Amino acid sequence: MAVAAQGDDSACFECHGSIEKARDAAAAMELKLDEARLARLVVEPMASGTSHVAMACLDCHPKAADVPHAADLGAQNPCATCHEDAMAAINRSAHKDPAGGTSPRAPCWACHGAHDVRPAKDAASRLHPNHIAEQCLACHDKREYLEGEHGHALQIGGLDFAASCVSCHGAHDIQLHGAENSRVARRTVSRTCGTCHARVEQAYLKSVHGAALSEHDNPDVPTCVDCHSAHKTASARSARFRLDSPQMCGRCHADKRMMAKYGLSTAVLATYVADFHGTTSELFRAASPDQPLNQAVCYDCHGFHDVESVTKMGVEQVKSRLLVRCQACHPKATKAFLGAWTSHYVPSPDRYPLIYYVRLFYVWVIPSTVGFFLAYIALDVWGRRRHRRVS
Amino acid sequence: MTEDRGIRRFTARHIINHAIMLVCFLGLVVTGMPQRYPAQTWAKAVVMLFGGVQRVRFVHHWLGTIMAFQLVWHAIEVLWLTVVRRAPLHMMPGLPDWRHFLQQVRFNFGLDSTPPRMARYGFPEKIEYLALIWGTALMVATGLVLLYPVRFSPMVGGEAILAAKAAHGGEALLAFLAILTWHAYFVHVRHWNKSMFTGYLEEEAYAEEHALELQQIRRGEAPEPAPARILRVMVFAVMALIIVAGTGLLLYWLGAMATAITTVSGG
Repeated sequence: MAVAAQGDDSACFECHGSIEKARDAAAAMELKLDEARLARLVVEPMASGTSHVAMACLDCHPKAADVPHAADLGAQNPCATCHEDAMAAINRSAHKDPAGGTSPRAPCWACHGAHDVRPAKDAASRLHPNHIAEQCLACHDKREYLEGEHGHALQIGGLDFAASCVSCHGAHDIQLHGAENSRVARRTVSRTCGTCHARVEQAYLKSVHGAALSEHDNPDVPTCVDCHSAHKTASARSARFRLDSPQMCGRCHADKRMMAKYGLSTAVLATYVADFHGTTSELFRAASPDQPLNQAVCYDCHGFHDVESVTKMGVEQVKSRLLVRCQACHPKATKAFLGAWTSHYVPSPDRYPLIYYVRLFYVWVIPSTVGFFLAYIALDVWGRRRHRRVS
Repeated sequence: MTEDRGIRRFTARHIINHAIMLVCFLGLVVTGMPQRYPAQTWAKAVVMLFGGVQRVRFVHHWLGTIMAFQLVWHAIEVLWLTVVRRAPLHMMPGLPDWRHFLQQVRFNFGLDSTPPRMARYGFPEKIEYLALIWGTALMVATGLVLLYPVRFSPMVGGEAILAAKAAHGGEALLAFLAILTWHAYFVHVRHWNKSMFTGYLEEEAYAEEHALELQQIRRGEAPEPAPARILRVMVFAVMALIIVAGTGLLLYWLGAMATAITTVSGG
């Protein structure tokens, strides 16, 4: 029996208009529905400003014209009829319907809402930048995004242009991050970040890391997210980021297996920590991780987005850059002062021999002196005992 | 001279000097070793106990400064004792010390029937004293280089700064281990020697370790200090003034230039 006429929703609201009406209708049909189920059946008339305000119930739910409704009414995707392109895009994405039909893993209304669909620019929209994270976080456990710089800027700072989930991952075309065409794959993530951070992307692509990635598809070099992390992006200006940075660089540069591939020294972190600045940063990090530090860390000398290969740069250029860097904190430093830093080299008879031989001296003198002391003490203890027994 | 608590061995000057040295040395070890091994967990624990590496360094620098002044003081002290009071250089090692050492070894092996009869200071004490003087001088010199690297690098070269650091760390470990073994054995294990705190040493211990001096004391042959003559005091005054002025000039020269911008200090 068809009770509703096209374009007139009043018949629908007779049952769906309020929870009382829904309860009465259920009773009349001898259906036993709990309160939660009843509450879900209540539909408010579409508010003005919603995208589909001009449409009638039956436009989306044509089979609902039959009362009582067919049991499979809810199985249909009413959106796909009009939004074919979007549905096709979804089926090429990570959220696709495995069967290729119109029931994607993330149904349309999971993100867009159902009767309250609004254009994304509307501040009340579920897809307004301020609200997007709520939709994604309903399924994806990435709450650390809210603590990151972007989430904070968007939600607390009120910056609608700050990156939301879809800024980096895309929307209907979202891909698994391992997929070739993902916006956050190793090869593409710098372009994605570069959408907003354009000059950073340019500098990165010219750097020893970025060039290796774009030219040779290098599997080891860091991308943006390896240093800044993807969701909990830390402010690079924070004291903690600076204090943690030597360990961050050390994750790869102290990794023997990885560095062996490129003939790079893994002593860089240890030699840094053994030096004045490194000792300070290491001990600051231990005692107070949010302690501001103005002593040199890796990127003060090497640069960061534009980090260059020091072997390519040549000794003279490295030294002149280093002196400028030293003088930033030690205004009266001269070229002689540069020798007070071994440039990460471990002293050897050929390089920094003075340091090498001083260390060698103590390597021999400490055990032999202490060994002599212990030997003498042992003899003395033994001798005194013997004499005590004798006397 | 002989009392029930033993025989007078050290004066208040010795006792105070040693007490200051004791506090400085232990403090320097505690604040220095974490800087030598910053990556170790225990080092971080010590730093946290102090409330940050800057406090650790502050304490280290001041204790080092006190110890450096003790070295200057000792130079003046020795000058007074030798120039004015004409006291013998008790601590100077010589051939008898070698003989005493060898005799002690032979005695311990049972090859000699008598132990060595040592004077006021025996070879164990002389070894330690020389190590202390040499070690402190080296630590003060290298410590100053480390404290003022920008000042020193044009003179000695940058590499010497790091060589000074290696020497400072190596000598520190050597000194610490020497105290743990040699010093601890002779004054704490061999017998519990409180004389450096009380000023008196038990007669029995005196007889064993300083038989020669005890004999001199008993016979009244111990050398009496010479009276302070005006000429000798003046010579001393001039020499002491040179030492003090030299120290002052060094401090002025070092302090005349800040080494670096101030390290950001935390709460």
